[in-house]
Amino acid sequence: MTTLTTRTEAPTSPERGTAKPKRRAAHWAAIAFVIPLVIYLLLFYAYPLVQNLTMSLHRFDRGTFINGGAPFVGLEIYRDVFAHPKFWAIVWQTTVFTAVSLAFQYLIGLTIAVFFHRGGFRLAAPLRGMFLVPWLLPIIVSGTTWQWMMNPDDGILNTFLSLFGADPVWWLSTDNALMSVAIANIWLGIPFNLVILYSGLQGIPKELYEAASMDGATPWQQFRRITLPMLRPVTLITLLLGLVYTLKVVDIIWIMSMGTGTSQTLATWAYGMSVGKGASGVIRYSEASAVGTVLLLAALAFGLIYIAAQRKQEH
Amino acid sequence: MTNPTLRWCVAAGAALTMGALAACSGGTPEPGEDGNASEGSTTAEIVFWDPYPQHAEGSAWDEHVKSCAPEGSTIVRTSAPQTDLFNQLTTAVKEGGAPDVVLLDNPMMPEAVGAGMLATAEQAGIDTSGVDENLMGPGVVDGAAYGVPFGSNALGLYYNADLLSEAGIDPASITDWDSLNAALTKAVANGGKGITFSGVTGEEGVFQFLPWFWGAGADLSDISSDEAVAAGQLLSGWIGEGLAPKSAATDNQSAAWDLFLTGEYAFAENGSWFASAAAEANFEVGVIPIPSKDGGVAPVPTGGEFAVAPIQSENASDHYANASSVIACLTEGEAGFQTNETLGYLSAKPEVRAEQATQSPLWEPWVGAVEGAQGRTTDLGSEYVDASASLSGAIQAALNAAGDQAAVEAAFQDAGGF
Repeated sequence: MTTLTTRTEAPTSPERGTAKPKRRAAHWAAIAFVIPLVIYLLLFYAYPLVQNLTMSLHRFDRGTFINGGAPFVGLEIYRDVFAHPKFWAIVWQTTVFTAVSLAFQYLIGLTIAVFFHRGGFRLAAPLRGMFLVPWLLPIIVSGTTWQWMMNPDDGILNTFLSLFGADPVWWLSTDNALMSVAIANIWLGIPFNLVILYSGLQGIPKELYEAASMDGATPWQQFRRITLPMLRPVTLITLLLGLVYTLKVVDIIWIMSMGTGTSQTLATWAYGMSVGKGASGVIRYSEASAVGTVLLLAALAFGLIYIAAQRKQEH
Repeated sequence: MTNPTLRWCVAAGAALTMGALAACSGGTPEPGEDGNASEGSTTAEIVFWDPYPQHAEGSAWDEHVKSCAPEGSTIVRTSAPQTDLFNQLTTAVKEGGAPDVVLLDNPMMPEAVGAGMLATAEQAGIDTSGVDENLMGPGVVDGAAYGVPFGSNALGLYYNADLLSEAGIDPASITDWDSLNAALTKAVANGGKGITFSGVTGEEGVFQFLPWFWGAGADLSDISSDEAVAAGQLLSGWIGEGLAPKSAATDNQSAAWDLFLTGEYAFAENGSWFASAAAEANFEVGVIPIPSKDGGVAPVPTGGEFAVAPIQSENASDHYANASSVIACLTEGEAGFQTNETLGYLSAKPEVRAEQATQSPLWEPWVGAVEGAQGRTTDLGSEYVDASASLSGAIQAALNAAGDQAAVEAAFQDAGGF
């Protein structure tokens, strides 16, 4: 702010001699304002990132972590990770988990948002509040509840299925675990999509719909030709945020299945290795850092795609 | 940032911060070999870590620990689950601010020693005499003792006596896998349920699997052997035939115990730490040793923690004097007896164990199991963690195979990697 005012003042000022020190002081003030932010960024963003990268380039174990002396191995850790027999399976599971979660969260969230937006429903406000419950519950509670509901022997979901004569499902078995954690994660993500899309819908001018219905557009045509295009910016940001959240989801998966079987994603894999939890009690600082870097790059790539998409939209 | 001064300043700020950070991380203190308990004196505050968050502040255990503070000292106790405790200890040793005393799960001992995290028992003035060799095993690395186990727990087969008598099963008849399978089938045919156990991924599930693994004659140095597959086949078959719940693949030991407490299950493989809870169940509970494949008692893994003194870089002698004093109190005499009774453990010293068994009949069936127990890391040392990880993967796959023999075989043969 200070720079701005002096800059506009400086040319109009008749006494050039006094303008210069004033300007310099303003610079220092600007710098003083920026420094805390820069230090914060360096301490809490740059330093961990650099540390993460360094860790993935040195072979650390518990001993070298404590006493130092981890040998520099270049990209060897990355090669180990990429050559791991489960690496590509885990990448695929992460992709499926993320894509399925995003698609259903968005579709269901949008459906509910449109339903509430159309209005004329007396219970709308309390009901909309209820849809937020998954968001408000601590994940340890919802995760444990899902695990309990998905109990293969006498869980409530299997009891419900048996009413229709369906066979009980072993929800968290090696093969089904991915589907089960995705279901829970979709349920968790709906409120977020609902809230953002609902506010997006409220931002669409009513006149557009009025004009369209005067022109004889059906509700479906209104949805396709007005709602969807007008929602595009909101949709983009919802999907991007959802993607970043979903890529790094650990808690819900860990609580339900500890990342066993098909429910292992890059995030749970990295988490398990970094703290020596899950199947292996061996702590793998370097491998976890390498997987962390991969995740980071993936998120970054989608962030860039988002920026590109946004640019395109602006032009 | 078009302004040159501003740009310069940002760069300088960056360099300064990085320099400061490098200064912090560059000077990692080298843990010293020096320091001896006999040269130090106890300090006013003694820091004590244990893996029992279930024993909250003010609980019997908490008060017992604090009563072990030497004259003029107070004990500050902190708890965290096993793995978290180990990781926190790792960081604390790295930063040079380790606690005075830690209770560390016994299979973690070789890795902790290998990473240079622990002072030797000699250095820290810890008396290891009178402790059973099998229990001491995990704490001895290259001939040197690190810390001391104060007590041990063991696994056994709990049974629901009411359910068994209804089904006409005599628990004494269960001496090998065939007779156990027959008993399970009979219990289920009688309308009950079979057996609960914990097959959860990780060390906990491996701990529960080892009695079957060793009972089949398998060896941790070769987890793809026919004997190993046989053990996997046994548990997998139980799930396939409905003798054990499918949730065993995700149940931890507490969850498996809760299932048993419903009174629907005939048997439960679980630990001696539930012995007093078993006495309070609303049905009659008995215990038999876990049978091995062809008869006889299967070796169970030793369970329980070591009291250790982490390496200190500053005032090491004083810290070790603290450890020496507190550990001596917790493991010797009347207080040593109380330590085990409070935790539901059997003492690591035979004469104290005998006294526990005479005072409470609850302990009697467990004495044999503790004495025949095998240290998990005794054979493989610090390589045990890798074997355990592979075994954990195999167990998960075997349980999911639900009895499919080919899949169980594949599970054990494919085990390995990280």
